Amino acid sequence: MKVKLKVKRAGPDGPSGYSSYEIDAAESVTLLDALIQVREYEDGTLALRCSCRSAICGSCSMRVDGRARLACRAKVIAITGGDENHELTVEPMGNMPVIKDLINDMELFWQKMRSVDPYLKPEGVEPEGEYRVPNETMLDLTHAMNCIMCGACVSDCTVLEVDKNFTAPAALAKAYRVVADPRDGHSHERLQKLSEYSGIWDCTRCNMCVEVCPKGVAPMNRILQLREMAIEEGIGGNSGVRHTNIFTKSITDGGRLNEIWMVPGSVGMFNVPRLMKEMPGALKMLRAGKLPFEQLIPPGAPGSAKMKGMDRVRNVIRKSASLKAPKPVVEE
Amino acid sequence: MAVYEHDVLVIGAGLAGMRAAIQAQQMGADVAMISKVHPVRSHSNAAQGGINGPGVGEDGGPWEEHAFETTKASDYLGDQDAITVLAQEGGREVLQTEHWGVVYSRKPDGSMAVRAFGGMKKARTFFVGAITGQAILHVLYEQLMKPSIYKAMRNYEEWFVTSLIVDEGQCRGAVAMNIRTGELHAITAKATIICTGGLGRVYEPSTNALICTGDGIAQAYRAGAALMDMEMIQIHPTTLKGTGVLITEGARGEGAYLLNKDGERFMSKYAPSMMELASRDVVSRAEQTEIDEGRGVDGCVFLDLRHLGEKVIKERLEEIWEIARDLVNIDLTKELLPTLPGVHYSMGGVKTDTWGATAMPGLYSAGEAACVSVHGANRVGANSLLDTLVFGRRAAEHAVPWLRNQKVRPVPESVIDADRKMIQDVLNRPKNGDRVAKIRHDMGVSMSANVGLFRSPERLEKQVGILKELRARYDAVGVEDKGKVFNTDLLFHIELGYMLDCADTIVRSAIERKESRGAHTRLDYPNRDDENWLKHIVLTKQADGSEKMTYTPVTITQWQPQERKY
Amino acid sequence: MAELKYAFWPGCVSKGAAPELYVSTNLVAKALGIELVELDTATCTGAGVIQEQNPEMADALNARTFALAQQLGLPLMNICSTCQGIESMVQDKLTKRPDYLEKVNAILADEGLKYTPGLAIKNFLWVLVEDFGLDRLKKMVKRPLSGVRVGPFYGCYILRPSQILGKEEFPERDTYLEQVIEAVGATVVDYEGAKKCCGFPILTVNRENSLKQTGNHIHEAQDLGADALVSPCPLCHLNLDAQQPAAKQVTKHDIELPILHLPQMIGLALGIDSKELRLNHHVVSTKKLMDKLTAPVAR
Repeated sequence: MKVKLKVKRAGPDGPSGYSSYEIDAAESVTLLDALIQVREYEDGTLALRCSCRSAICGSCSMRVDGRARLACRAKVIAITGGDENHELTVEPMGNMPVIKDLINDMELFWQKMRSVDPYLKPEGVEPEGEYRVPNETMLDLTHAMNCIMCGACVSDCTVLEVDKNFTAPAALAKAYRVVADPRDGHSHERLQKLSEYSGIWDCTRCNMCVEVCPKGVAPMNRILQLREMAIEEGIGGNSGVRHTNIFTKSITDGGRLNEIWMVPGSVGMFNVPRLMKEMPGALKMLRAGKLPFEQLIPPGAPGSAKMKGMDRVRNVIRKSASLKAPKPVVEE
Repeated sequence: MAVYEHDVLVIGAGLAGMRAAIQAQQMGADVAMISKVHPVRSHSNAAQGGINGPGVGEDGGPWEEHAFETTKASDYLGDQDAITVLAQEGGREVLQTEHWGVVYSRKPDGSMAVRAFGGMKKARTFFVGAITGQAILHVLYEQLMKPSIYKAMRNYEEWFVTSLIVDEGQCRGAVAMNIRTGELHAITAKATIICTGGLGRVYEPSTNALICTGDGIAQAYRAGAALMDMEMIQIHPTTLKGTGVLITEGARGEGAYLLNKDGERFMSKYAPSMMELASRDVVSRAEQTEIDEGRGVDGCVFLDLRHLGEKVIKERLEEIWEIARDLVNIDLTKELLPTLPGVHYSMGGVKTDTWGATAMPGLYSAGEAACVSVHGANRVGANSLLDTLVFGRRAAEHAVPWLRNQKVRPVPESVIDADRKMIQDVLNRPKNGDRVAKIRHDMGVSMSANVGLFRSPERLEKQVGILKELRARYDAVGVEDKGKVFNTDLLFHIELGYMLDCADTIVRSAIERKESRGAHTRLDYPNRDDENWLKHIVLTKQADGSEKMTYTPVTITQWQPQERKY
Repeated sequence: MAELKYAFWPGCVSKGAAPELYVSTNLVAKALGIELVELDTATCTGAGVIQEQNPEMADALNARTFALAQQLGLPLMNICSTCQGIESMVQDKLTKRPDYLEKVNAILADEGLKYTPGLAIKNFLWVLVEDFGLDRLKKMVKRPLSGVRVGPFYGCYILRPSQILGKEEFPERDTYLEQVIEAVGATVVDYEGAKKCCGFPILTVNRENSLKQTGNHIHEAQDLGADALVSPCPLCHLNLDAQQPAAKQVTKHDIELPILHLPQMIGLALGIDSKELRLNHHVVSTKKLMDKLTAPVAR
């Protein structure tokens, strides 16, 4: 099978732009196999990181046709569908500077990781033997520990693209690992810190990290679990928590989202400077006839907009409190 | 170019390296750690099945049992004082990792769960699914990210050691290249601990990562330190055809069967008592015999996990379920997995005592790069992770107080000159039609063919000739990339040199040992010969470049060698 | 071909701040001969927001919506990428955990409702391509949008995570919007932002980041010559259209790009009057785009 590659080059003492390669390979070839073949027999100046070839070391993360993934798990035929004319575009990861060719400087990744204090901080007396913890918890944490620090999620995170202060998925998934570990004694403080700017509430919930993660860690799901834990711990006082509160109130009251009250409910009823920013937009919506007048009464207040049959909905909501949702697990 | 000074230099940042570094740092030393890849990329992360925990809780059982079974599995080549240390101190290391946060699987009562593993009658292998190595490695790195350690330890990440510095017979650190700039520097220390791992890439295929090129073993050898048991290369029973990727012994530990083409559990013929969980060399030879006698398919036998059920496979062996699905399109819950023996581990390495110290003052080694010897002629599964932690810690524990009494003279910048010249020579070589990759491939394939599971004197001699040719080619071949920044082309060239040195020592030791023991099987000497060969083969490079071969008797404390039956 | 009939969950936004979506959906469905039976007692899917503090409530409410559709014996159609993503996620969870589903059904039983896994849940985009068929759509185009350059904007939740969005059975779902754009005669503008995030979920948490995401994607498409963006998600529409002036201010990009709801684009191609499709009820004016539609409606 012919494999066509278009690889982005960069670096102070080598070629730049894109280099094109064409090689012959077996049908089972992975992108990594192909790149190694190029580097060993065609172009020794091509630089990439790789080591284990079996998706456990996390070295070979790169963008293939625009999406970050592990080169050693990228079966060429699965991407091209067998089309020998499909030229694979291979580029280094995004959001991080490039040292050479497909090699990123991952200091940003590691700095974010360190910022969440990613090590156990036990409290109290250390047991003589092992800590006794439920297997279910260890299994859940094992899914978070599946992370091989490859950087794919950080590469493609859409928030990190516009705001380099965002803690980013990998570090937040690691934060989950320590917060949810019963052997750690500092969950509350951790959740408090994580609830500040650049933390768990700054994720835009786009699922990009879940999509690109090669190990089923599902970082976004971990972030959502942290949000749930923060709320359970009573850590609020930020727009993120207020947003989920007003949203939930809106549905429990009327069955549908009240868009008008969503904003002041989230940013704070008396947050005048912030609310002022929304005024021009609100006026434009009014002019365009898009302001839903029936939503002017806030959820919970007498006369607020309600759907038909809300009593039945409220029954379901009330009884759902007895349910216990299974923990999210993503199979990749 | 600069000269850096530290108390302790740890070369390699896998389990052994990080454990040594943490220990040394906790003891107040100024520690530096060099690694040619980021620490979490180290090959320790590929260990799947588990870590033995002698003495941990009821399952760990008495340490003497673990020690005996390790000794037996080593085919009595293991030094029993070292094995005793491993067994006595291993449990404490396992618990330390649990306290640091490793997410070991649990039993319903919350205590750590165990699984059966090869060579151990009693199940005492603690595990995290099928990612035990990764789980422990990452937790060690978590510890290194603690500000107190992170700020205090100097981490030379993506620096490549080109040679050890020896001054007045003492090891004084290493010359290393900052891979990002291409510049050479001298990183000096009073104590140097080599934790660079194994040399599996000398063979092709192998389970090993591309970085396992025997760097530290060759560097120690070139510096004049002794190597021991180099002929002992472990061939793991279950690897994937083609890529050589590892399929953990943990699968057999959970109850998987090995079948030949007739669907027979053929291990009943070779190890009727322990069956699939006999020691690895026994199982690999059994498989190869089945294959050679026509009862394999396409050069493979089969691993059968179907009867384990989806829950066990997905919960306790998730990693290999994914490997099978992604690399060879096989669903382990429904299909058989073709598998064959593959090169996996090097029992031999840098000769050390039970404190990780070599005969050269200032030079220590731990982990797969070292040979204490705890594994003798065959390593028990789940003992390697244990080895790295116990001896990584001990090397640091010995080195730190030792170095406090050392008065050394400063190392001049000129120590870098030889390596700089070597590199410049390589960069200056013109194209000659040959390639580093071709030489490496030829080395790997020929080593597998001639110095593999079953060794014959003819093929071993043939390999000597082949290696000579390869060496000549190596001395002439150049590289394509002449740049300074991240010149991996150049690094592969240097690594090939390390591998050829290692290959030489493997072949010479294999020729010398005229018996079959553990992983070393001679077709012309099919039996174990305790009378003549209950000893280690030691190789030391002399100052004039020639090689001296000596022997060290095996240390026997409790267990007299017996016939090894499984 | 059998007539298509669906249980219809219009979502929250089309009954609130985006009435133009509700109106144009019904007009277009009628024109295509698709019968929609509105579930007027079904509730919000939670949009992932309720899930943050109360996943159980969201699971139960969604299961109820599924059960309402099944009570009618009809597949379920939505007109919102976010609804689609949430519904698929809940469906996946309930299918994989029958023990959990049993408990949820126990609650729904009070209303005589029950959810049985196997319900087809499709966004209007998927309905168009998979059930209705693009060939059939092409035949019905009366006013091809020739010369009009349209950038697709999917909305995260109709794309990711792809395994629960039918990637195995329908591997081309992440190209449908481009296919539909071409089917109505317009030209696709290929730009990187098409599958990224509009930032709506963090509008109230981090306004600057949210508007940067919106502004950057619009700017990219506009720079490449787009006359409009089209989206199957009204939440995205809220950010891309209603917040576009604010995004312009925050990013300092000179952007002015009309944002179409998917049914509006279809409706234009089918020859429906732009005012009926409420294209004059957007925050960012669609006038320039309307002027560009040169092809006369075939009589």
